[in-house]
Amino acid sequence: MITTRRLTKRYGAKAAVRELDLEIPRGQFFCFLGPNGAGKTTTIKMLTGLARPTSGTVAIGGHDMAGEPLAAKRLLGFVPDHPFLYDRLTGRELMRFVAGIYRMTEDDLAARCEPLLAAFDVLHAADQLIQDYSHGMRQKLSFASCFLHDPQVVVVDEPWVGLDPKSIHKVKTYLKERTREGLTVFMSTHSLAIAEETADRVGIIHEGRLRHLGTVAEIKALARRPGSLEEVFLELTREAEEALVDA
Amino acid sequence: MPDGELVAVAAVGGRPAPGRRLSPLAAMLWAKGRVARHSLALVRRESRLKVAFVSVSALLLWIGIFVFALLGLRLFETFGAEVLGEGALTVSDLVVARMLSVFALALFVMLVFSNVLVAFATLYRSREVPFLVLAPVTRSSFFLGRFYECVAFSSWASAFLGSPILLAYGLTTQAPLLFYPMLAAFYVPFVVIPAAIGAVVAMALVRYLAGARRGPLVGFGLLALALLFSYFRGKLRSPDLADTATIQAIVDVMGRTQSPYLPSHWLARGVLSAATGEAGDALFYFLLLAANALLLLWLAAQAAEAWFFTGWSALADGGETRRRGRGRGPFGALDVVLRVLPQPTRALMAKDFRLFWRDPAQWAQFVLFFGIMALYVANLGEARSFARHGTWGAWATLLNLAACMLILASLTSRFVYPLVSLEGPRIWMLGLAPVGMRRIVWQKLWLSVGSTSVFTVSLAVLSALRLDLDGTSFGISLVAIVGATVALSGLAVGLGSLYPNFREDNPSRIVSGMGGTLNFILSMVYIVLVTLALAAVLLWNDGLARVLGDRGQAMAAAAAFIVVLTALACWLPMRLGLRNLERVEF
Repeated sequence: MITTRRLTKRYGAKAAVRELDLEIPRGQFFCFLGPNGAGKTTTIKMLTGLARPTSGTVAIGGHDMAGEPLAAKRLLGFVPDHPFLYDRLTGRELMRFVAGIYRMTEDDLAARCEPLLAAFDVLHAADQLIQDYSHGMRQKLSFASCFLHDPQVVVVDEPWVGLDPKSIHKVKTYLKERTREGLTVFMSTHSLAIAEETADRVGIIHEGRLRHLGTVAEIKALARRPGSLEEVFLELTREAEEALVDA
Repeated sequence: MPDGELVAVAAVGGRPAPGRRLSPLAAMLWAKGRVARHSLALVRRESRLKVAFVSVSALLLWIGIFVFALLGLRLFETFGAEVLGEGALTVSDLVVARMLSVFALALFVMLVFSNVLVAFATLYRSREVPFLVLAPVTRSSFFLGRFYECVAFSSWASAFLGSPILLAYGLTTQAPLLFYPMLAAFYVPFVVIPAAIGAVVAMALVRYLAGARRGPLVGFGLLALALLFSYFRGKLRSPDLADTATIQAIVDVMGRTQSPYLPSHWLARGVLSAATGEAGDALFYFLLLAANALLLLWLAAQAAEAWFFTGWSALADGGETRRRGRGRGPFGALDVVLRVLPQPTRALMAKDFRLFWRDPAQWAQFVLFFGIMALYVANLGEARSFARHGTWGAWATLLNLAACMLILASLTSRFVYPLVSLEGPRIWMLGLAPVGMRRIVWQKLWLSVGSTSVFTVSLAVLSALRLDLDGTSFGISLVAIVGATVALSGLAVGLGSLYPNFREDNPSRIVSGMGGTLNFILSMVYIVLVTLALAAVLLWNDGLARVLGDRGQAMAAAAAFIVVLTALACWLPMRLGLRNLERVEF
């Protein structure tokens, strides 16, 4: 569902992402890990069409993001770490607005809006202005609006900011259940415990290059000593840094 | 134009049929409508006194313009008849049509300029742009959805200020009833044209100049302004009115604005035709405006398809690649100058200057202000001959001072008022530091006084030189403008602290709130009061002597009044603002 070919983004002389090749099939929960400044957010911007690659391609469901952006975006949902929401709309009005920009029918909106607001625990505040929402409620509303048009691919950038443990559990379970129904999830996160728990496959990016790619078990097997994904991640990124210094 | 989009606009407001697909453009407009409705409802949360004061002031301003326009137009109507007898040509016959053309042209040029800035802010800098770019919406739909906001944002003021003048014109000419709805009909396509031109210019500039170095860009902008200015100055240069004052000379100058290719001319001709009941001509000019507005809107939507995303990406990329040289360039020099200040004032000043310079929407507007100032000073030479003649000299001093204070009020209202609110998103940093809100607010005042006085004092000196004012008039102007700088800075910083908007990070939107409007109105009140006090002294005559008595005493009273007013205008809002910020919870 997500395919990148030699995907590269340069800012002047600095390459933020270099020749990234990824193939994420339908129904897979993919976690994208890396230290700060590794190139995760730049990759996400290119996947979602928010940034233009310097070279290489992105395809969502077989639709090239540069050539057929509208077809690609129809399949895509995105939850950023700090979502923009219209402060002076109510939660329900925001859902209606999102339905409009995704060209949904009135029937679909009616059928999906309330169950999603309920699923993400914001139904009780649906008629309040978003400016009165807490950060966690905003995050939950952005999840609800992301799933409104029934996307086949969801890109999530560090979604746990502001969520309480119960909400984190709920969102995690929802995402996992949806992947079983065929949804593809691409999640960038620093929460390695959650990645270990949820990911079908993990990619580790460092200094703009994809260093490791595999299932959690495969990634763990790369480490000299067995341990949690967190320990393995720290070891692998430290090795990458040492290799860079040596070079 | 995206297929079916404009048809779907009609569905906004009503609920579409269940099976019908919702339209992105209609959804964007519907959401904006809801936002506007909720914003209006939120006015109820504001202080009642503030809402009442702003509403009544706005109403009084509208009525004032209407009465002034009505009296002026009636004077023109009767002026010729009184001198030359009934049936002769009146001044109105000669100049009103041309005045309307000048008015429409000035409005058109201002709208083009302001639309370039508004389009930049709305299409590229608004926080909702990435959200909309993510959605499967064509660039032209996205553009049209944002374009209506550009039109509304840039043209509401001209509608508010222009409507009383045109209403007065309709009443003076005893226009048929149809004239009034036709005014609204003419206005819509007329404001769409400069909005479309402004949007295309903004998109072209971003597409081809994003990422370019700022210094050459500003230089290029100033050069373009200078060339534009010299072109229009040559076109509209007035004759030496003091020596050869003839109505014909004025008529000729005004006639130069009546090019048949200008939308302002179509508006003026359409309004005149509607006023005189020539329905056919009025309809022709309306259709001419509407056809051009639609064509330009279509072209702007095509420009958005071609340029928007490339420009937006380049703008986003540029921000991430730029490296700022430490201790070099203008900011290096600024750091050296600021060393005379103690910390943390120095750090706050350096931060404010850097943030201002790095926000294109801020400095682009500032360049525009600078252009208006240059235009004003350059044109003053035309009035020099007036200023040499006794009473006219006093009038020239007074009007020049009022103009300088108006420019100052625009500067403080637009750039100084939002300073405290802009600290909102970062207040956790300043709030935690051992600085205290009191020091932060005072720093904003000194920043405002220091930076605006560079411009206002230069403006006062240059304009006095251009007008060739005598020493006394020059001294009065200089002292008054320094006083006004302190007063209006205190007013803007104080009210900015009293009514802060910590949710908003766009200075234009902070200014357009109730607090910003109140600040502008009170600035105007200050200017009017100071001008009236000075008028009593500078325009001294027998009539005033009978009312005010001795001139020396009147001068002393006027000076005392201005000093007290200035101190009050600065101190009271500062005190109230400081008290509010010390209480406010973030």
